[in-house]
Amino acid sequence: MLEIKHLCAGYGKREIAHDISFTVSGGEILTFIGQNGSGKSTLLKTLAGQIPPLSGEMLIEGMSVSGMSRNDLAKCVSAMLTDRPKTDMMTCRDVIETGRYPYTGTFGLLGDADRKAVAEAMRLTDTAELADCFFTEISDGQKQRVMLARAVCREPKILLLDEPTSFLDIHYKLTFLEMLDRLRHERNIAVVMSLHETELAGKISDTVLLLKKGCCTGMGKPSELLDRKTLTDHFDISDELYEKYHG
Amino acid sequence: MKKRIIFSFALLLALTLIFIVMSITAGSADISPSEAVKILFGGGSDDTSELILLKIRLPRTLASALLGGALALSGYMLQTYFHNPIAGPFVLGISSGARLTVAIALILAARGAILLNSALMAAAAFAGALIAMSAVLLMSSKIRSMSLLVVCGVMIGYICTAITDIIVNFADDSDIVNLRGWSVGTFSGFKSESLIVCAVIIFAALTAVFFMSKPISAYQLGESYAVDMGVNIKAVRIAMILLSSLLSGCVAAFAGPVTFVGIAVPFLVKMLFGTAKPLVMIPACFLGGGVFCIISDIIARTVISPSELGISTVTSVLGAPVVLMIMLRKNKERVRD
Repeated sequence: MLEIKHLCAGYGKREIAHDISFTVSGGEILTFIGQNGSGKSTLLKTLAGQIPPLSGEMLIEGMSVSGMSRNDLAKCVSAMLTDRPKTDMMTCRDVIETGRYPYTGTFGLLGDADRKAVAEAMRLTDTAELADCFFTEISDGQKQRVMLARAVCREPKILLLDEPTSFLDIHYKLTFLEMLDRLRHERNIAVVMSLHETELAGKISDTVLLLKKGCCTGMGKPSELLDRKTLTDHFDISDELYEKYHG
Repeated sequence: MKKRIIFSFALLLALTLIFIVMSITAGSADISPSEAVKILFGGGSDDTSELILLKIRLPRTLASALLGGALALSGYMLQTYFHNPIAGPFVLGISSGARLTVAIALILAARGAILLNSALMAAAAFAGALIAMSAVLLMSSKIRSMSLLVVCGVMIGYICTAITDIIVNFADDSDIVNLRGWSVGTFSGFKSESLIVCAVIIFAALTAVFFMSKPISAYQLGESYAVDMGVNIKAVRIAMILLSSLLSGCVAAFAGPVTFVGIAVPFLVKMLFGTAKPLVMIPACFLGGGVFCIISDIIARTVISPSELGISTVTSVLGAPVVLMIMLRKNKERVRD
């Protein structure tokens, strides 16, 4: 589904992620794991088209992304990044509906199919009861779910999520992963995300990609990679510290 | 939601009609509404009344409506562009930039260097508006804070005004007869030729803006969301700047400085409609700006009649409190966050 070849990402001349290659098939979840500043967000932003890649290739179903129109790309890829939209008198439904943008006509009015997709996304993310609340007046966790509904209602082939579980309490963290699991099976969506919770990443991901200072230091099944030794090395944690709080 | 929007549009349309009638019947020559309607539909009896109505009052009223709408729309676009509710053509120095180039054009025309017609006036104003706008944009790449950027716009406005004053000082009195009346801002003395030029420019811009309501709605959410939605953000930005400069430049060329309409009207309209969706806001701002300026113009020419107030005097009195309201509201939001 999504194939990344020798991708270098960064801002202008400053290269942050170096020579990253991976493949994700439909229904699979790939998770970036790394410290703050390791390049996870930069990579996700590049995949989402927010910043142009410095070099390398991105292919979706064998088609090069650079040859696709903006609208076609937006139909395939939907991203939920860490910044929040600026909303002015917008209800949560309004915010979620903006996810249908690539499918709507000249004036951006929603058709029946669009409304159905929005309703379905709201059901999946448990946001139906928030529909008529103003987006500025709900909690951070609720905003997170609304943003996910927005990303999902586009019915993308590829879903990019940057720290999707931050701000969520344990209930919604687990519900969120359950939802993601359902999504990828039902809709065969390929998911690329970054997560800080290594245990959760281990449970849900098919592949984890360890990122350190912008380089891929390991990629494979979570059961093979997410052992204590790799983790303490990867996150520069001393044994004592690990024992004391995490062991 | 839908009901409120329909109701609000109906209200704005009704107000527009009511105030147009009020505007063409207000004045020293006594023309009753029924007589005015008769004259408009070609059944006039009295030649003087007909002349006053068709040559003076009607062009003036239509000019207020058109230019008011243009100002409000221009303000709405600038506020969206800068994500700041107090951005507006006057605040950002765009109107002053347009004034400067129009002053130069007027003086050149008086000296016989160029032949000035309405279209050329509009072109000069558009050029001035674009120059001032580019200055603001150049600074915006260096200055991240929006409130500082607004201050920069104010400074650019002052610089343009100062240069205009210097040029006017060095010009002969005969060169600037036109300029004097024009620099206070007024909707009076509109020739039908100018009115047609204005109408063509403004309606073309309005249509273009209306067709951009979808990408503008994406832009409102912020840059990264617009990109995620597949919007060509550079193209949208350039189009927004060109169109808002064209609109406010057009007003500056034909009516001179008219303050606060661009900020007050979009805010009031948003409150009335209860939504900030561009598809609704664009036509609503245009209508609202028209109503606001017709009312202001009626006040300007009746309060101290037979003398007249500058249009900006009235729009400031009506509009400045609204701006204060916006800032108080913004402050409250910040405290709540």
